Amino acid sequence: MAESILILLILLPLAFAAFTSWMPRRHAPTVALLGTSIALVLGVYAAFIFDWNITGRYQFENTVEWLPALGISLKVGVDGVSMLLLLLTLLLGPVCVLASLTAITDRVRTYYAWLLVLQAAMTGVFVARDLILFYTCFEFTLIPMYILISLFGSTNRRKAAIKFFLYTFTGSIIALAGLVYVAWHASEHAVSGGWTFDLDRLMIAAADLPPSAQGWVLAALLLGFAVKVPLFPLHTWLPLAHTEAPTAGSVILAGVLLKLGTYGIYRLAIPFVPAAFAEFAPYLAALSIVGIVYGGLICWVQTDIKKLVAYSSVAHLGFCVLGMTAGNEIGLSGSVLYMINHGLSTGALFLLIGMVYERYHTRDMGQLGGLAAKMPVWSTFMVFFVMSSVGLPGLNGFISEFMCLLGAFQSADGWGMGLWGSAAPEGVFLPGSTPGLLGPWYAALAGVGMIVAAIYLLQLTGKVVWGPLVEPAGHGDGAHHGHQHTAHEAGHDAPGAHNTLHPASPSPAGNQQRHSNLPADLNAREIGILVPLAALCLFLGVYPKPSLVAISGSVKQTAAIMREAGVFSKRPATLPPAEQPTPVEATPSAPREAQSGAQAAAKPSEAPPGAVTLSGHGGMSR
Amino acid sequence: MQVTLIDLATSSVAAALAAETPAAAASGTPGAGARLMLIVPVLTLLGTVLCGLCAALRVKSKLPAWTTVALLAGSFAAVAATFSRGEGVLSPVIAHGFEWISIAWGGWGSGGLGHGITANFSFYVDSLTLLWMLFVTGLATLIALYASEYMSHDAGTGYCRFFAGFNLFVFSMSCLVMADNLVLLYLGWEGVGLCSYLLIGYFYKKPSAVAAAKKAFIVNRIGDLGLALGIFLIYVQFGSVEYATVFEAARPYIDSFRSGDFAAIPAAVQLIPILLMVGAFGKSAQLPLYVWLPDAMEGPTPVSALIHAATMVTAGVYLIARTYPLFLCSEHALPVVAWVGTLTALLAATIGMAQFDIKRIMAYSTVSQLGYMFAGLGALTSVGAAFHVLTHAFFKALLFLCCGAVMHGFAGQLDLRRLSGLIRVPGWKVVGVGMLIGCANLAGFPFTAGFFSKDMILAEAFVTPGMAPIGWLLLLTAGLTAYYTFRVFFRVFVGPVSFEPGDEVHSHAHDEAHTHGHSSDHANTHDQAPAHASTAHGHFHPHAPGWAINTVLVILSGLSIAAAGLYFMGPHGGWVASMIHHSSADLPAAIGEHPSHGSFLGMDPHKVMYYVSAVVGFAGIAAAFILHYAGRTSAATSRRADTLSDRLGVIARAARAKWYVDEVYDYLIRTPLWVLSHVFHLVDKLIVDGLVDLFGWLPRAFGRSIRPSQSGVLHGYAVGMAGGLAVILLIVLLVAW
Repeated sequence: MAESILILLILLPLAFAAFTSWMPRRHAPTVALLGTSIALVLGVYAAFIFDWNITGRYQFENTVEWLPALGISLKVGVDGVSMLLLLLTLLLGPVCVLASLTAITDRVRTYYAWLLVLQAAMTGVFVARDLILFYTCFEFTLIPMYILISLFGSTNRRKAAIKFFLYTFTGSIIALAGLVYVAWHASEHAVSGGWTFDLDRLMIAAADLPPSAQGWVLAALLLGFAVKVPLFPLHTWLPLAHTEAPTAGSVILAGVLLKLGTYGIYRLAIPFVPAAFAEFAPYLAALSIVGIVYGGLICWVQTDIKKLVAYSSVAHLGFCVLGMTAGNEIGLSGSVLYMINHGLSTGALFLLIGMVYERYHTRDMGQLGGLAAKMPVWSTFMVFFVMSSVGLPGLNGFISEFMCLLGAFQSADGWGMGLWGSAAPEGVFLPGSTPGLLGPWYAALAGVGMIVAAIYLLQLTGKVVWGPLVEPAGHGDGAHHGHQHTAHEAGHDAPGAHNTLHPASPSPAGNQQRHSNLPADLNAREIGILVPLAALCLFLGVYPKPSLVAISGSVKQTAAIMREAGVFSKRPATLPPAEQPTPVEATPSAPREAQSGAQAAAKPSEAPPGAVTLSGHGGMSR
Repeated sequence: MQVTLIDLATSSVAAALAAETPAAAASGTPGAGARLMLIVPVLTLLGTVLCGLCAALRVKSKLPAWTTVALLAGSFAAVAATFSRGEGVLSPVIAHGFEWISIAWGGWGSGGLGHGITANFSFYVDSLTLLWMLFVTGLATLIALYASEYMSHDAGTGYCRFFAGFNLFVFSMSCLVMADNLVLLYLGWEGVGLCSYLLIGYFYKKPSAVAAAKKAFIVNRIGDLGLALGIFLIYVQFGSVEYATVFEAARPYIDSFRSGDFAAIPAAVQLIPILLMVGAFGKSAQLPLYVWLPDAMEGPTPVSALIHAATMVTAGVYLIARTYPLFLCSEHALPVVAWVGTLTALLAATIGMAQFDIKRIMAYSTVSQLGYMFAGLGALTSVGAAFHVLTHAFFKALLFLCCGAVMHGFAGQLDLRRLSGLIRVPGWKVVGVGMLIGCANLAGFPFTAGFFSKDMILAEAFVTPGMAPIGWLLLLTAGLTAYYTFRVFFRVFVGPVSFEPGDEVHSHAHDEAHTHGHSSDHANTHDQAPAHASTAHGHFHPHAPGWAINTVLVILSGLSIAAAGLYFMGPHGGWVASMIHHSSADLPAAIGEHPSHGSFLGMDPHKVMYYVSAVVGFAGIAAAFILHYAGRTSAATSRRADTLSDRLGVIARAARAKWYVDEVYDYLIRTPLWVLSHVFHLVDKLIVDGLVDLFGWLPRAFGRSIRPSQSGVLHGYAVGMAGGLAVILLIVLLVAW
């Protein structure tokens, strides 16, 4: 069971997708719910039998031969980081199905089938230990998402879907070139002989990539992953896709699909080309800071609620990438937690917006206001998740944001070397500093994003939740929904200004038949969707210890890889080599050890004299 | 009365039980204990949950109020019990809760420090903590009792929400004050900010309340960024965020400070307090971040009293007092604190003099008094600052609650031109007397608590070398304070009985009808102030406060008076001094004693300041008497005051308009940012996305442009072929040449 659980998690949604498309259409939601729920239960079971003491090691590893001639296999396995992301994916599965029950009334089978396929693909990305499997799943998420947007989105959905597809696809193709180059290099130079796409082997082989090639590989990988993240300036597909996607699509997009980009950087870019990554970290960090501030300020002037939250993802993911570029344990932990936390809180925000949209058929902040008076329960959740998104301590967002910023702050070679007039003698490092190329200014500038986040998110609550009650025409008190709707549409088609926000009357998809008898405030189903998310946000904020421990093994290895790559470099080694700490000793993972050994062996010959020494904190004399 | 307080305060360092530096006292093996303090957050959190439950069950009774009062009284009892047991009083003890952000990766580097971070849910209980917790929980209990009556209009609607927020506030405040590390402090810090946001915006249908809440949160966030960066720098510098470790690590630098060897202190260490004080200025409404506090008066008055006068706004003072050892590592930090505090005190007092809304006046006086506390911290008298925090908490809460009673009884009326002689209205005696006691304290009337605490700061400002200008400015401010305080009293509570109700009489339910309610700026309406006499509202009967409000006012009046007694308790400099001397806010002896005593006009400031400040206070009160009582003909006008303000012309108008600070911020910061955001939005649409679209368009355009060539006409292809061939030949020839 334990060996096949991951394969099962990929196959199960696929099987249910097939069931769904055969079922009578009224049963489709039930089947989809069943499928995602079983997957969630399986995932929770996997989490129970997962050994949380060795989170740095891949567990449930299993290899199924696929194309042995090409060295391609279905190799799966999860460590602490992928386990958490997998659980997030599985949790959002039933949530998305439940959120779509009343919103999707047409082509129901198509919808749920693709939703399940999408889940299978996302699961595949997180469990893949083979490059081709990873890439296949990574790319395969595009097709279901494309269909979800283009068939079930709102007015401008075609354009959004095409843009989403082409933009991310172009990026991924370039990433593929980089990945294939690494595999080719491995087949040429590595011990294995012949092609292999086994990630563990590729990492060992990638260690002796020539420095110039490292830069190119990094550039290729980053182009692919940064589009997905999305990192400024490659983000413009996101607001469009988010705005046009159906609620569940937005939830998955924000909750999981964006994380594929950061996960790709964490899982592939850093281990393959750590030296190049560390070298280019400041530029990446600068881009993410621009994204944080620029994206945040753009949020401020949005009038479309969904677009506001979409742009906020650009800003939030900026923090995530910033933490990764810090390259130290605190920054990487913050970054990984950010993936989870952003998925929960922004996913929930999209759910909440969808709930309002179902009632009022508008996302225009000018037409919605003071909903606290009418929807107190909705408003309570809204304020809660907004606070989580703002990064209020005690909720989940804070821990990750704080750690990302702290990681960036401390990650500076300059500490203790006279920077800021520090009087510490040369070679004595401050106890809280780590080697790196960022530093306090990066954290301070990114920290401005904390203020900007408060500005735009409180702008949102100030308009939509608080203030005098404003409802679109035809939705006033006592208005009968179905009856008033025509008046409302007629009233708003006239000015024409809101056409993009209002689905034009009967559209081919026909999703606008949403006069399900929803109560003014949330119903039990909707509360039921939100409560688990809220509980998780609170739990992760109040007691982050388990999640921190869960990712500690992997984070520690990744930080060690970057540190060993030795690019943070400029500090002198004062300890004799014998005393150099071996970074992976605590959580031994056989391939990793081999890899670090390979790196260490490769180092003296490869490194130009004086440029790269991996003293780490060796120079710290305390 | 010849107590030379500062001499005593400083010499008590030697006499006190711990004859060691505060760092040593703070870090000296904090034992476990004081577990009773853990009850406070548990009870308050329970209160939040219960009130939330009441809201969900649509409870219409006063149940949430009584639950809150009972739980807060329990919290106060727990703190008092800890204090009376002496746990943490003499040396800090740590009450361990649970592990919060606590992770160690270890394994590389030689030090091991910094490769993990420990910020637990643990409490650092020392006398400073106990001092703060005693008045926070005590006042919260009283004000909750007051609010049970005050908020009764809203029973069934916002009542539960109000008390849930109230409990959550006390929870956050207790985390802030009791935290044993800076990250937990930060949790409390932002938590009180959230509660402040939610409670200022309590009347959420009023756009002005929503705007005020938003402003408070955002301005505080600016300060929070400073605090966060300060915490980061502390972590990098000392490898920990726990007080005990940090203070221990900072000890060598304090020694350098003592010997005047500032060059030995790294710049990063000197920068830490600068960053921390930005946070303190935000939370405690100091220049340049004070603008949110006056607007915060949009919240219900109990909230103004508890959060925006007595407790939350003193968090900045607490932060500096708590991290005093770090402030003593910096050459410029404390003088900056002193100057910012002084200038804020003066600025806010001048604005307060010109306002007509009595709650706003109290808000500006809060800003001003907080300035005194910062000046005290900067002038090396943490004792004075803490004492002023304590006395101010009592009398300012009292003043606010009196204003609240007026607002409650007169349908939201707060304009001092529309109220007069209230003390003689039946049923309002308690409020009137309470107001008098509060005003006397705030004005620094001799032998009141406010008199002693303010004098401590004033005298020390003159004693500390180089701070005499601060002393003079504070003295001037004391006079202004006495004036504007008694301006309120003489106009509203004495004189001919006359009043008109506020606009809440027309619509009780706080709907859009009074969006431009009582708290809007009265500057523009000054000239046509009393449009109609109170007789026009002959049908209006103010409803006098009930037992809950009166009881609380009586207790607070008593406490405000009794607080003066604290000054005489204990051997040296009063009870507060003895508390501070055992906490991290203590001064190392060599810093506290000034070798060259400053002087006040050639005299020892400690000896003469009582008389000087008493005279200044009397002068202010006399001015208020002449302008606003003796010359007053009706509720609305005071001929002399009006003539004076006419003569002052522009100055009076500018002060009334708050020196246009809000407008300046709007023009210099908000508007440019807003424009920039729009520019970014356009850039995003046209350039960033435009380029992408261009890329998408290029292949199509290319295809379209060559499509005509595929015309299917044979001779067209022939011409093309011939032309191509010619070009190739040409190239070949050229290359071959």
